[in-house]
Amino acid sequence: MTVFKAFLRVLNKNKAIIIMYTAILVFFAGFNMKTNDNTISFTASKADILIVCEDEMLGITKHLVEYLTKNSNVKEIENLEEKRNDALFYRDVNYIVYIPNDFRKQFLNHQNPEIKIKSTKDYQASLASMLLKRYLKIANTYLEFGFSEDELVNLLNETLENEVHIELTSKLDTDSLTRIATYYNFTNYCMLAGSIYIICLILSSFKKENVLKRTMISSMHYQKYNRILLLSNSLFAFIMWFFYVLLSFILYGSSMWSLHGIFFILNSFVFSFFALTLAFFLGNMISDKNALNGIINVIALGTSFLCGAFVPLEWLPKTVLHIAHILPSYYFIKSNELLKTIEVFDFVSLKPIYLNMMILLLFALTFIMVSIIITNKKRKLA
Amino acid sequence: MFFHNFKYTLKTLFKSKMLIFWTYAFPLILGTFFYMAFSNIENSEKLEIISIALVETEEENRIYKEVFETLSTEGANRIFTTQYLEEEEAKNKLSKKEISGYIVLEKTPKIVVNQSGINETILKLVVEEIEEMTIISKNVLNIEMFKKMTLEKNRVSENQLDDYAWYYEIYKKVMEVQNEYEANLQDVSNANLSYTMIEFYTLISMTCLYGGILGMVVINQNMPNMSNKGKRISISPLSKGKLIFSSVFASYIVQLIGLSLLFFYTVFVLHVEYGTNLPLIILLALIGSLSGLSLGIFVASILKTNENTKTGIMISVTMFGCFLSGMMGVTMKYIVDKNFPLLNKINPASMITDGFYSLYYYSTQSRFYFNIISLLVFSSILLFFATLSLRRQKYDSI
Repeated sequence: MTVFKAFLRVLNKNKAIIIMYTAILVFFAGFNMKTNDNTISFTASKADILIVCEDEMLGITKHLVEYLTKNSNVKEIENLEEKRNDALFYRDVNYIVYIPNDFRKQFLNHQNPEIKIKSTKDYQASLASMLLKRYLKIANTYLEFGFSEDELVNLLNETLENEVHIELTSKLDTDSLTRIATYYNFTNYCMLAGSIYIICLILSSFKKENVLKRTMISSMHYQKYNRILLLSNSLFAFIMWFFYVLLSFILYGSSMWSLHGIFFILNSFVFSFFALTLAFFLGNMISDKNALNGIINVIALGTSFLCGAFVPLEWLPKTVLHIAHILPSYYFIKSNELLKTIEVFDFVSLKPIYLNMMILLLFALTFIMVSIIITNKKRKLA
Repeated sequence: MFFHNFKYTLKTLFKSKMLIFWTYAFPLILGTFFYMAFSNIENSEKLEIISIALVETEEENRIYKEVFETLSTEGANRIFTTQYLEEEEAKNKLSKKEISGYIVLEKTPKIVVNQSGINETILKLVVEEIEEMTIISKNVLNIEMFKKMTLEKNRVSENQLDDYAWYYEIYKKVMEVQNEYEANLQDVSNANLSYTMIEFYTLISMTCLYGGILGMVVINQNMPNMSNKGKRISISPLSKGKLIFSSVFASYIVQLIGLSLLFFYTVFVLHVEYGTNLPLIILLALIGSLSGLSLGIFVASILKTNENTKTGIMISVTMFGCFLSGMMGVTMKYIVDKNFPLLNKINPASMITDGFYSLYYYSTQSRFYFNIISLLVFSSILLFFATLSLRRQKYDSI
């Protein structure tokens, strides 16, 4: 009980750190909450665009603007070129269309007016560009066959209104599953940083020379002492894990009450166990509190960056992915990514996830073994 | 005396492993992580060639086959890789995500996809365009028919209008008009559009501001209420101004060495682009470091607390500033700039980041100089208050 009490005291002193990591997590999750509720029917992607129309809003010009507005998300940006440029750079918009002031006149005179555009050249921009080109092409075809402007607008409506039917096979709620997976991926950072920081601090305060000497001469058997210490640390890791799981229920509610949810929880449980063993290992290795901060940042940030906690796995370069394979976090995050795509829970689809868990457990086992060996050696030397 | 103190301050700073780790090594490590994580983001946002499948049925659907063949041939206009599969096989591949979708070529072709996304939307657009061709031909046919009827009023009977060759002629003409037309789009966007650069600019900001810790440490060393060394220095009959100035100057030099290391690393190893105006880049780095230094001196002299708390404050101010300027997500800077512009106007990390951004993205320099002036004002205010608090210190007891 004495050991446990001391443990709680150290924990209490450092609660600010835990609160900070949790705050970061909540903030990140909040950032991710943008929803578009689509589950059953197909929804076409829309590019974020900006239309700068210098022409009078009449006839074909008006119709073009209406068409683009209907098929993309038109953003409201202050009417300054600098603000538009900023919006483009930061991808608030992906495509800017500048309709010149004599567009209508020139177009109806078959002069193929020049339209200036600005583009981020990503897939959203490509989509916007396809829409614009498609419109101009159809309008031009009708124009070439001698239709008047009014006819043109009517025919364009008729032509563009044709929508093909699309069948969606997956009935998965991909949107919320992706959000949950991203949340759990991010816990990689919080769990690693949180548990390493706290557990290392606790272990190092128990290793202070005076404290160490006192415990050594006490009547408590060192095995019992170690056991209590390990148990209290596990308890801490467990509480932290439980807290993050609870948080995911608060944030994502109903989507967590599913088989997917259970596996997300199970996977993070295995990972928190691994984090505990890693923290225990580091705690036994490092006694300098100052060095601790550096090591935490390198490990927690490093694995999070390289294994896809911050940037989705599919966006990482191939070489980085290869390197990531030697890091445990990769297997945790990979499982989360796999989980969000699983439609039928059977042994075949879950096999890779079980395999990843096994790998994590193996890593954990290795760290436990190495810690035991090291502490044993150290005690003998002392 | 100036040089003596300068030399020993340099030595003490370089010998502090923690200081050197945080101001020299940490930015390099973080920069490497950024590079590894972000170097592919912009490429993966480009439109890739989309794999799809066509499922043939008894219906003859030549147009679809032709169009997808054209869009699947090598070249600048390639959008798809198309394969012909049986429906079962296509379904299977779709569920494994090997293809984005497939089209069953029935009378009204059926598109099957697995999810709503950009590839699927583009497939939809292409199919719609094919369908549109039919509508356009029909509409053109109507008007041509009408023309022909009025022209040759009495000579042609309606039956003759079913003439296949004539239909085909019209259809070909529509195709021709369509193919000949190329929308006259002029791309005027700036070439430097890589937003991940902001991450590296925030890294430079962080290093500039972290450098303030060096300034803080040397001020602490000169303060009698902070260390024994400070006490000894204070009772020595030396000009305090000279001492403080030489210490601060030494820490500035240490800071600049770290910063130039980071610059070399980011430019030559990580290939970060800072624009082409080298003198202005150096100017911004010098003034950015100065603002970090002022922050450090300010924190060290104004706050009457122990060194750990001061370091804590420095780190939190720096990290929060960097967070607002986009280090943990580039969008953050834009959100703050757009909604709370004042916040980023008083945030030194953001001024530095924005300075580099304006050098990289904009050809005009007004925005850059605005940032430089803001940084100078920021530094002067902090230094002014720091001097007020540092001069004529007296202690009844310590």
